[in-house]
Amino acid sequence: MGKLTKSHMIETAVWLLIAIIFFGFTFEFNQPIEIYIFGATGWPRVVIGLMLIVTFGNFYHHLKYGSTIQAGRVGIADDDEAGSYDNLAAVIKVLAVLGTPFLFALSLKPVGFYFATPFFIALIIVIFGERRWKWILCITALIYGLLLGLFMVVLNAPLPQGNTSPFYDYSALILRLNNDLQQLW
Amino acid sequence: MIENFIAGSSALFGDPFTLAIFFFGVIGGMLFGAIPGVSMLTLAAILLPFTSDLSPAQGVMLFAVIYCTGTYGGAITAILFNIPGAPENAPTAFDGYPMTKQGKSGKAVGAAVLCSAIGGVASALVMMAATQPLATWAIRNIGPPEIFALVFFGLAVASSVGGRTIWKGWLSVLLGLLIATIGQDPVGGINRFNFGFADLAAGIAFVPAILGFFAVSEIFVQAEKRATGTFNAPKVGMSFPTLFELWSQKIAVLRSILVGFFCGILPGIGATLAAFMGYGEAVRWSKDKESFGKGNIEGVISSETANNAATGAAMIPLLALGLPGGALTAMMVAVFQMHDLEPGPLVFYNSPDLIWVVFAAMFYANLSILFVGILETKTILYLLKIPFQFLAPLILLLASIGAYIGRGLVLDVMVMFLAGIIGFLLRRSGYSIPGIVLGIILGKIGEQNFAQGMQMVHYDIVAYLSRPICSLLILAGVLTLGVGVYQALRAPAKKA
Repeated sequence: MGKLTKSHMIETAVWLLIAIIFFGFTFEFNQPIEIYIFGATGWPRVVIGLMLIVTFGNFYHHLKYGSTIQAGRVGIADDDEAGSYDNLAAVIKVLAVLGTPFLFALSLKPVGFYFATPFFIALIIVIFGERRWKWILCITALIYGLLLGLFMVVLNAPLPQGNTSPFYDYSALILRLNNDLQQLW
Repeated sequence: MIENFIAGSSALFGDPFTLAIFFFGVIGGMLFGAIPGVSMLTLAAILLPFTSDLSPAQGVMLFAVIYCTGTYGGAITAILFNIPGAPENAPTAFDGYPMTKQGKSGKAVGAAVLCSAIGGVASALVMMAATQPLATWAIRNIGPPEIFALVFFGLAVASSVGGRTIWKGWLSVLLGLLIATIGQDPVGGINRFNFGFADLAAGIAFVPAILGFFAVSEIFVQAEKRATGTFNAPKVGMSFPTLFELWSQKIAVLRSILVGFFCGILPGIGATLAAFMGYGEAVRWSKDKESFGKGNIEGVISSETANNAATGAAMIPLLALGLPGGALTAMMVAVFQMHDLEPGPLVFYNSPDLIWVVFAAMFYANLSILFVGILETKTILYLLKIPFQFLAPLILLLASIGAYIGRGLVLDVMVMFLAGIIGFLLRRSGYSIPGIVLGIILGKIGEQNFAQGMQMVHYDIVAYLSRPICSLLILAGVLTLGVGVYQALRAPAKKA
C-alpha cells in the first residue's frame, strides 16, 4: 500500500464522492441549448472529469510519497498542520468553535441579529479561553455597541430582525431607539 | 490631458462637498479594507443606495476612490492576520503573514503601502493618458477566446502556488470552478445544482464564500492552535523597509505594474488575477524561489503593486466599453444606471467632467495611500496586541454582516460558515484556499467566454487557437501546468 494512510484514503473517497454526486446531479439539467452545442452540462462535466483525473494524481502522490510536500512549491502555509488532539477538552473546544457560528447563523432568522449577537460574542470569548467575567461582560458590551454604532446608527444597514416574538419586539425596540436618535440630528 | 486633469482637480478640490466625499472614500476604503472580516465590497454594498442622492460624478468618484484605497487596505489584514481583505490581497498573505510571524510586520506593511501607491499612481497616469487608445486596442484584439485563455493561464498560475502538491493546487482550483457552476448557466440560463434550494438559483455569492474561506477558516485554525497548545502569538514589528530594500525590488515593481495593467485592462478579469499573476511572475523570475511563502518581501511587493496597478486599468473597459472588471466596478455600473447614464464610449463625449473628476480622484486617492497609509500603519499594527479571544468574535460578526449585507439572505451567512469549515479542513490537508477562491471568481467568466469564443469560431478549434494572443496565453498555461506535473512525477519531495 506504499505510504498510504487512512486519512489519504478518506481524502480520495471524499473527492470521488463529490465528483460522483455532482455528476449524478448533471442529469437533472441535461437539456440542449439551441445556440450552444455543449449545453448546460458541458462545462460542469469537464470540471468533474478533470477533478477525477487530478484525484487519481493526488492518490498516486500519496501512494508514492505520503504527505510530503512536492519540491518547488511556493506559498504554502506551513502552520496549517493539525495539532495533536491528545485530550478530550481540545476536541470539544474545536467542535464548539466550529459549531457555535453555525448555531448563530441558524438563529438569525427566528431570533434576529440584535438579540442573538451579545450571546454569541460572550460565548465565543468564553470558548476562546477567557474566564474573567468582568472582561467578558465589558468586551461583549463594547463589541455590541461598536457594531450597532457603525452599522445601525452611522450606516443604517439592514440587519436580520427575527420573526418570532419576543425577539422581533426587541429588534423593533432597538430600531425605534435608533430612529429617535436620528430624529435628534 | 494636462488641462483636463487640472479641470478635474479643480472640480474635486473646488467643491467642499465633493472633497468631503473624496476623503470619506479614502478613509472608508482603507478602514473597511483593513478591518478583518469586512471589505471594501461591504462598504460599497451599504453605500450603493445612498449614491442616488449624489451627483453622478460624486457617486462614481466615491466608488472609484473606495476601489483604490480598499484594494490597498485589504493587504493589512492579509499581512497581520492571514485574512486577505479581498481576493486580490490573497497572494500578499503568502509572504506577508510569515513576515509578521518573524516580527517583520512593519516592513511588510510598509512595502505594501509604498508599492500599492506606486502601482496605483502609475496605473492612474496610464489610464489618464491612454484610456481611449487602449480601449480601441482592446476592442480590436481582445475577444472572448483571449479572455478564456487568460483565465486558463491565471488558473494554471494559481494552481502552482499554495497547495502542497500540483494535484492539491488543481483540486483546489477545480473545487472553486465546481462551486461556480452552482446557479444559472451563463448561456441558456438553466438552473444547475440548486439541490432544491430556490435561493441557490442565483448561485453562491462570492463575498460570503470568500469571507468563509479566508476569514472564518483563519479563526478556526487559530482556535485549533489554542485548543491544542500550538498557538504562537505574532510579533509586532514597527520597523519599515529601508530605501535600499525597496530600491532593490525595482524590477519586481516594474514587472508587476505591467502585469497588473495588462490584467486590469481585460474586461471581467480585474485585480485578483493581476495579484496572482504578479506573484507568479515574481516566483518565476526569482533566483531564490524556495524563499517565497516563507517571508520574502518581494512576494508582498509583487502582489500589492500588481493589484493596485489593475485598479486604474480596470476603469478602461468600464468607462470605454461599459464592461466591469470585478464586483466593485460592477457596482459602479449600477451607480451610472441610477443616474440614467450608461458607461461606454459615449460617456467621454457626453460627460467629460465626470470622467476627469473620477480620473483626478483616483490619482489623488492612490497618492494618499502613501501619506494616510503610513499614518494608519503606525496605529493599525497595534491590532496585533489585542488578545485574540476578543478579536475573534468581532471578526466573526463583521464577516457575518459582510456576508448578509450583499443580498440580505441568512443563507449567505450559513454558506460563509460552511465555507469556513470546509476551508479549515482543506487547509489542514495542504490545499490552497486562494486557489479555490480564484476558481469561484473566474469560473463563470471562464465558462461564459469559452462559450462565446466557441460560438464565434463556429466550434473550430484550429480557428480558436490561430488567434495569436489566445494561443500564446494557452501555451503559457499549458507550460505552467506541464512543469508542475513534471515536478510532481519526477522531482524528489521533501518532508511535510
